[in-house]
Amino acid sequence: MSTLTHLGSGFAVALAPMNLAVAAIGCFIGTVVGMLPGLGPINGVAILLPLAFALKLPPETALILLAAVYIGCEYGGRISSILINVPGDAGAIMTAIDGNPMAKKGLAGVALSISAWSSFVGSIIATVGIVLFAPLLANWALAFGPAEYFALIVFAFCCLTGMIGDRPIKTALATLIGLALASVGIDANSGVYRFTFDSVHLADGIQFIVVVIGLFSVSEILLMLEQTHAGETVVKSTGRMMFNLKEMAETWWGTIRSSVIGFVIGVLPGAGATIASAVTYMTEKKLTDTEGTFGKGDIRGVAAPEAANNSAAGGAFVPMLTLGVPGSGTTAVMMGALTLYNINPGPLLFDQQPKVVWGLIASMFIANVILLVMNIPMIRIFTRMLAVPNWLLVPGIAAVSVVGVYAVHATTFDLLLMTAIGIVGYVLRKMDFPMAPLILAFVLGDMMEQNLRRALSISNGDVAVLFESGISIGFWVLSIAMLVGPRLYRRFRPKALAAA
Amino acid sequence: MKSDRILGAVTLAVAIAMGALASQFQAPFSYEPIGPARYPILLAILIGACGAWLLVKPGPPAPWPGGALLRKVVLMFAALIGYALVFEPLGFMVATALLTFALGLLFDGTWKRVLVGGLLLGPGLYILFDRLLDVVLPLGTLWAFR
Repeated sequence: MSTLTHLGSGFAVALAPMNLAVAAIGCFIGTVVGMLPGLGPINGVAILLPLAFALKLPPETALILLAAVYIGCEYGGRISSILINVPGDAGAIMTAIDGNPMAKKGLAGVALSISAWSSFVGSIIATVGIVLFAPLLANWALAFGPAEYFALIVFAFCCLTGMIGDRPIKTALATLIGLALASVGIDANSGVYRFTFDSVHLADGIQFIVVVIGLFSVSEILLMLEQTHAGETVVKSTGRMMFNLKEMAETWWGTIRSSVIGFVIGVLPGAGATIASAVTYMTEKKLTDTEGTFGKGDIRGVAAPEAANNSAAGGAFVPMLTLGVPGSGTTAVMMGALTLYNINPGPLLFDQQPKVVWGLIASMFIANVILLVMNIPMIRIFTRMLAVPNWLLVPGIAAVSVVGVYAVHATTFDLLLMTAIGIVGYVLRKMDFPMAPLILAFVLGDMMEQNLRRALSISNGDVAVLFESGISIGFWVLSIAMLVGPRLYRRFRPKALAAA
Repeated sequence: MKSDRILGAVTLAVAIAMGALASQFQAPFSYEPIGPARYPILLAILIGACGAWLLVKPGPPAPWPGGALLRKVVLMFAALIGYALVFEPLGFMVATALLTFALGLLFDGTWKRVLVGGLLLGPGLYILFDRLLDVVLPLGTLWAFR
């Protein structure tokens, strides 16, 4: 029962006053960021990461803050979905389908409380999933050598390429840009300066924080300039605030089912909260919608996707913590945060940094309790904040982002580079390039090259070493399946589905 | 001209430059079969291939903003670059107040509100970060004090 012992020590970390306070602050900020249309978990985590670092928070505290923000966002997204029919983040798109009609029927309060409850259930189930499965996976991954790691990283990229965006070539190019950016700086093995153009500022490589803020804060506010949510009205009358037992019973099994499906989808690299909520909404519609009420304000259609997006967010922690290979943009940013502290996530993390891992897991349980309290009894605080105007919000985001970047090295060069990356990011996003693969590749680039070179050193340059073990062959086969599978499915799926 | 084509051409050019630079990387001493050059060259080839693909098979054109919106986007580029440039000389408080005026106006704030917003946000964030949270921010090298 060493897991329980570890979890106990984790709670000792999480319940330290500082960590508890940070978790509560993170939950609050996360809910707000998730609620604001245009800003999602990756933006929230990206903007707070440099601050956590600048404030010299210890690694476990920084990670607790970022995790609380991440989970908080998945709670917060539903608020604007339900009240103004504009999803607060991508994971809450499906929630709007039944959530907003419910609000228009005068049941906004019930929609908000039942979705907070199912978010809570989803998140708790996912956290229990982490406790049960992460140590097993980490144990298994101990057998990975450089060749296996290289194949695993390729697999993660292939998952993203197969699933995100309509044009795989753009996802592939985004990944390659990330890898190329990661290769800037001194080569660790030979001491050669690569792509530094004799600039001192680039000798260390491009700072992770500069890239993250450029891509997810600067380019985001540029995009916000184009989004106007005219014509959407805030539903003012919320009606009864609390769901009753009948409504809870009605949604119970759907919530459990969606949580489990969401967790599994979250663990897979590439698929995240967005896909999880879409899949479970469709599943619930097929399984339970006998009277055709889905889409017209059915409470089951609100509970299911909210349970799923929260449990997917929890599931996404599993590959990051156990393999050191994050499966989503947001967890990639968190992994970058850990590497800033010179902690390398991977199978050894559970042995070497039990304080960080178990403290994080325990604080996820606590954060969910805090979020449940914030999102049911205290929900009105947040609904009022939907009224913060963009003319104040945007300069605030810009200034806070710049503070974070400046705090790391205190150079104007970093600020200019951040702005330049933001502008390039804006152009790429306008052209439908996904940003999650780019940041994932940037985080994993160094690890990918090192593992490739290490594997080839062992074999003295023979490429066959990459295809020798069963595990690496398995990853290669899965990679090809992920690249080809979704395209085949699109081509051969039944006509009825294609038309829908 | 489709935007994918332009991007494809730019990507291809960058890839060639990257490959040319990378082929000159040479380790003074070599401990391993793969030197510092091979991996970036591999990346350059793959990036070039993606660029060529976009050049030959472009997708539908991107929905670029036009007219007034384009002007706003360009102004915002300028405001952000300007912020980065004056951040150290003018200091955080003044620079942030100016940024708040500029961005506030771009996001349809009225003159009065934006002015008040800037005057509150600049010093407010300075006190929060520099004084309360211990993140050192510049006061401005142009001013005489300090």
